[in-house]
Amino acid sequence: MGSRSSGLWLIYALGGGWGHLTRAAALARVARGPVRILTNSPYAGEVRARLPDLDIVAVNPELPVARAREEAVRQVRASNAACLIVDTFPRGLGGELASLLPALGAVRVLIHRDLNPEYVRGKALDEFVRSSFDVVIRPGPAEAAPLAGLPRVRTTAPWLIRSAQELPSREAARRLLGVEERQCVLVSAAGNRDEQEWYGSIARALIAGLEGVGVRCVAPARPPGCPGEAWLCCWPAMDLLPGVDVVVGGAGYNTVNECAACGVPLVARAWPRKYDRQALRAGQAEACVTSPDEAVVAVRTCLGRPGRSETRRDFSNGVQEAVEILESV
Amino acid sequence: MTPSDWTCPRRIGFLFPHPCGRTSPIGCPECQNGQIEDPYAQRTDREGYDNYGDYDSADWPGAAGAAGAPLDFTEADGENLVKPEEEFEGDLTAS
Repeated sequence: MGSRSSGLWLIYALGGGWGHLTRAAALARVARGPVRILTNSPYAGEVRARLPDLDIVAVNPELPVARAREEAVRQVRASNAACLIVDTFPRGLGGELASLLPALGAVRVLIHRDLNPEYVRGKALDEFVRSSFDVVIRPGPAEAAPLAGLPRVRTTAPWLIRSAQELPSREAARRLLGVEERQCVLVSAAGNRDEQEWYGSIARALIAGLEGVGVRCVAPARPPGCPGEAWLCCWPAMDLLPGVDVVVGGAGYNTVNECAACGVPLVARAWPRKYDRQALRAGQAEACVTSPDEAVVAVRTCLGRPGRSETRRDFSNGVQEAVEILESV
Repeated sequence: MTPSDWTCPRRIGFLFPHPCGRTSPIGCPECQNGQIEDPYAQRTDREGYDNYGDYDSADWPGAAGAAGAPLDFTEADGENLVKPEEEFEGDLTAS
């Protein structure tokens, strides 16, 4: 007899940017049964193009809030999922799951990425999660987790879009990057639209300040000010890390955990977010900066250290463990 | 046309910045029909008024400043005196 979670897993991954969708894709691609991802990320098309086997339902990110909430609820109901996996937002990003979850017949699992404690208090999330979820999975022991004290919380290694054995060689990654210089700095411009200019100025400052070092900037669209020859579009950017000596990026979940897993120094800028405390996560980075000048100094320090060791390939990918937890519920 | 569930995300206020919260920019004296991106930052009418009087702490025995700390509030203190009204679950592009 199968477990209660046998059947379709629906991952509720609404949320801006790449983070929620990438984490959901990381889980979906290793699951052994049918999985559907519900997202409103503007990057759903890019992920679908790279992973065409994934079942991705994209809610139009331009929908007014009320209609997006209705659409999310409609999709959850229509999926008839055996297991609903809610990424980050226990009540749904717009609060639309709050009345639906308590009576839902499916197994309910919360993926507990960091949350603003003010939000946790304001919406009494500890009590809501206690009564509305069967399991809480914390994706990484270093991830801040204001609900970690609740019962039924399981902690895994960070969830990554690539496992160690899937990473390309350094040579193959350098070909993707198109670098010939001995050392390479990657600017990971994964943030919001109004943050892209900062990344463009970082790329410019690095090119001007680091002679003989390859500089690349990965972003879905060329950030303003970024020289065209330095820009590339690549998802997942983790495929580039074996060819990189230093990353400059934000302190989002994926950037920080991918760099930490591969042993690539991260020079991070902690951006303000409504729900996510990037400043806490940036504590895992090699250096925290705010200005392009600071970034150049920090990158130069990282590059000046004797011989960067090969990309680490001994890390665990928490999605394997998560699948086992989900299958056992 | 303004969507029916739109609320203005701008900050307004003379001394203490706070969320605007209007449901339409039409006729708004703060952003002038949406023309001013940050009405609080662009307020210039705080300047040119110099008759604030003398609030020397010596005139206010028992007040915090009497122990030696100055009572010189600045505009920047306004930011700290107002608890930002963080609105959750209203922005589906947030993360």
